[in-house]
Amino acid sequence: MIHLSLPAALAALLAGIGVYGVLARRNAVLVLIGVELVLNAANLLLVTAGSRPGTQLSAGPVLTLFVITIAAAEITVALAIILVMFRKAGHIDLTAVPDLTDDPADEGVS
Amino acid sequence: MTTRDIVFAAVGVVTALSALLSVTTKHVVHAALWLLVSLGSLAGAYLVLGQELVGLVQLLVYVGAIVVLVLFALMLTRAPIGPHAEIDTPWWQRVAGAVLGGATTALLASLLLPLFSGVSVDLDTPTTTTPQVAQAIFGTWVWPFELLSVLLLVALIGAFAVSRLVLRRDADERAPVPAAAATGDRG
Amino acid sequence: MSWIVRMIVVLPALAALVGLLCRRQRLLAAGVAISVSSYVAVLALIQWVAPSRSADIDTIGALPLGDLSVPLHLLSDRVSGLVSFVVALVVLGIQVFTAWYLRDDARYGQFAATVSLFAAGMLLLVQAGDLVPVLVGWEIMGWCSWLLIGHDSERHAARRAAYKAFLVTRVADIGMVVGIVALSVRARSTDLMAVLTATGSSTLLTVGLVGVVVGVAGKSGLVPFHDWLPDAMEGPTPASALIHAATMVAAGTYVVARLFALYAEDDAARTLLAVLAAVTMVYAALLALAQTDLKRMLAYSTLSQIAIMLSALAAAPAELGPGAGISHLLGHAFFKALLFLGAGWLSVLAGGTAIAAVRGRLRPTGALRWSMGIGLAALAGVPPLVGFFSKDTVIDAALEGATGGGGFRAWLVVVALFVTVVLTAAYCARAWLLLDTPVAATSALPDSEPALVAAEEVAVVTTADSADDAEVERVHAHGHAAITLPAALVVSVLAALTVVGTLFLTSLSGGVHVGVLSALLSLLLVAGGAYAVWFLSDRGRVDVADLVPDRLREPAVRGFGVDTAYVGVGRAVTALARVVVALDRDVVDAYPRATAVVARAAGRAGERGHRGVPSLSLLSLLVGVVLVAVLGVTAWR
Repeated sequence: MIHLSLPAALAALLAGIGVYGVLARRNAVLVLIGVELVLNAANLLLVTAGSRPGTQLSAGPVLTLFVITIAAAEITVALAIILVMFRKAGHIDLTAVPDLTDDPADEGVS
Repeated sequence: MTTRDIVFAAVGVVTALSALLSVTTKHVVHAALWLLVSLGSLAGAYLVLGQELVGLVQLLVYVGAIVVLVLFALMLTRAPIGPHAEIDTPWWQRVAGAVLGGATTALLASLLLPLFSGVSVDLDTPTTTTPQVAQAIFGTWVWPFELLSVLLLVALIGAFAVSRLVLRRDADERAPVPAAAATGDRG
Repeated sequence: MSWIVRMIVVLPALAALVGLLCRRQRLLAAGVAISVSSYVAVLALIQWVAPSRSADIDTIGALPLGDLSVPLHLLSDRVSGLVSFVVALVVLGIQVFTAWYLRDDARYGQFAATVSLFAAGMLLLVQAGDLVPVLVGWEIMGWCSWLLIGHDSERHAARRAAYKAFLVTRVADIGMVVGIVALSVRARSTDLMAVLTATGSSTLLTVGLVGVVVGVAGKSGLVPFHDWLPDAMEGPTPASALIHAATMVAAGTYVVARLFALYAEDDAARTLLAVLAAVTMVYAALLALAQTDLKRMLAYSTLSQIAIMLSALAAAPAELGPGAGISHLLGHAFFKALLFLGAGWLSVLAGGTAIAAVRGRLRPTGALRWSMGIGLAALAGVPPLVGFFSKDTVIDAALEGATGGGGFRAWLVVVALFVTVVLTAAYCARAWLLLDTPVAATSALPDSEPALVAAEEVAVVTTADSADDAEVERVHAHGHAAITLPAALVVSVLAALTVVGTLFLTSLSGGVHVGVLSALLSLLLVAGGAYAVWFLSDRGRVDVADLVPDRLREPAVRGFGVDTAYVGVGRAVTALARVVVALDRDVVDAYPRATAVVARAAGRAGERGHRGVPSLSLLSLLVGVVLVAVLGVTAWR
């Protein structure tokens, strides 16, 4: 026997910590850590909901697996963008004022 | 309070604490390592909830792959070793972040707790076992599953294309050199 | 039988398509145009002589338009058979003549194809037993007239004349469409038989008939829409012959004749028609007398003659039917085609159509001299030519209308007709004297004011811009081949038809109906008008029109500035449209546009404040998300 309010509370807590992590970090990779925490909160909630009696189609665990896969895809692209940013700007500081002047090279790349 | 409740509370406390540490620590690499702990203990939480498959995949994909990727990214972006004050946003943004995080928690808790209060399940005779999950994936959910494989491929190509984008611009800026090197290699 | 009627409409359209496709091969294009028009003429002859009447020849099936029945039938009877035969005959003659006349023109193929399409439009209108095909044929002719008049599109004058013709007739077409819609609504059907037999609101009937009169006034050149027709002389002579003789301008007469049973019941529309026709016939005949260009003179005479046809329909008593108008339409088709083709021939010989250029040039040409003489005599109404019979049929019909209780309307028409007879005889005599008196005779005359006349004529000729100058210049640059036998034959055959054409009209009920007294009177008037001109012109040595004071003559040549009035109307409409646009944009649209302006300004302000810092953007985004979530949860609770 287990009471499902415990995992639900943990999910809410993880989501809040993730939001704080997104907002409190200036390093782009660490911002991604916050995003991962929010995703995991969602996963935990899915598993919890899937454990309720009478759930159809095994939706809880299956969707959790899907979200994990999507998270893997997401972090791949995000890290690629961060690396590009590092290579172009020399830093990955999100509080820096970006250089918004037009880059002539942008026209060449489509 | 059953045994599973107690075990889950212990695992959950570890998860929450390590998550909190990972978003507050001043060491850049520590943040990634605390994330590892948090995600690993979350896998434990899945085990307690009776989802062995999800827990194992969590370990494999998250702990084994994603955190390693994050560590790689930190290394490639020359993350400083040791405590570093410059990894956090200004204090007022952190205050705002704390308020928003608290608000999120409060909002979710106020929604979820009434939904799940008093609901308890007997996990000793689980309703969804691993064979059932496997059957569901390759039965009911087979099309989303196939779509996901396409999504992974697209993400792979997308990541590749994004990095090529800048590589080519770099190549344009110092165009003659790689071209000469290439012909030299071929010659 | 019914397939013949369908073929008469479809074949010229197909010929236009084929001609357009093979426009580069001149021989092929000419072959297609001429062979198809001769075939159509044969078919139309069969339709005319075969004694069959059928009012419900299917075309493409009825249109599914709810409770408005649109059967799209064709109607074949004696009148449509005869008219389509004459139209096909004139078109055939014009196609043969064009093959010679435009032999050096690079765009002959397009011209021949357009003539074919024009013929298709007219034949559709003639065969139509439904108001919708009538309108379709009507508009096809309007469009083709734009193409034909603007054939020499390199010249500004030709382009302007084409646009003028198109715009003026198009404005009048508003009335036509309104009229057709009103008639169809009244009958709940567009079928001609249903429209003619419908009983319903007399207001709708009046609106419909007046609308049709307005449309007819535009296409047939009644005052105040008349000024496009003289300008249409900018087209090549065969185009003028086509537009003037049997098709476009005559189409109005045919439509009114088809609706005659309705006009007979409605006094308002008929009075309007009578007034317009009476004014036009006298006014145009007066202007024809003053012209300095042969083709413009013929154009004004067309205006006058068309008005005569319509006046027959306006004044004839109901029991007499529309025969008189149709009869004059057919007679006019013969002699006007003859006159225009003859004028084209003459212009090639003389190097222009200005009176100064063609003066005395008719004398040495054998067949052409005879043909032009016959044509002018028919126009003046000399027996036994067709012009005499058809015109006196009109006069007789009008007199019957006047004595049979037609009242003011019929008497106005009768008076105008007699005045027009005198004037027509006068300008025909003037034209003949000018064309036929050798130049030597005029130069030998001691001229009282030679310098003034010469200067005035030059000025007038340049302002009126002789119509076929471009063609003639091209011809003289390359040396035009002498007229071919077929083209000369066409003119001669038309002359012969002008002599014997009365036989055609006898097959029409009420086609030839000449009262002895009125015929005698009109003969006397013709003789008097001609003699007066002969006497005044000193046996052809002086141009009668030169006796008119310059002050009056020059504006007369220019049509009394009606063109300026048209431009003024156009400007006024444009100005009104500008005002409406301004009102719409700056008053009505101000409120919706203000929101856009405010939103854009707010966006600009936000853009200025936004420095593109990612962490700030994240913060704002999450604040928004949480706020929305809180709001959503609160609302859901």
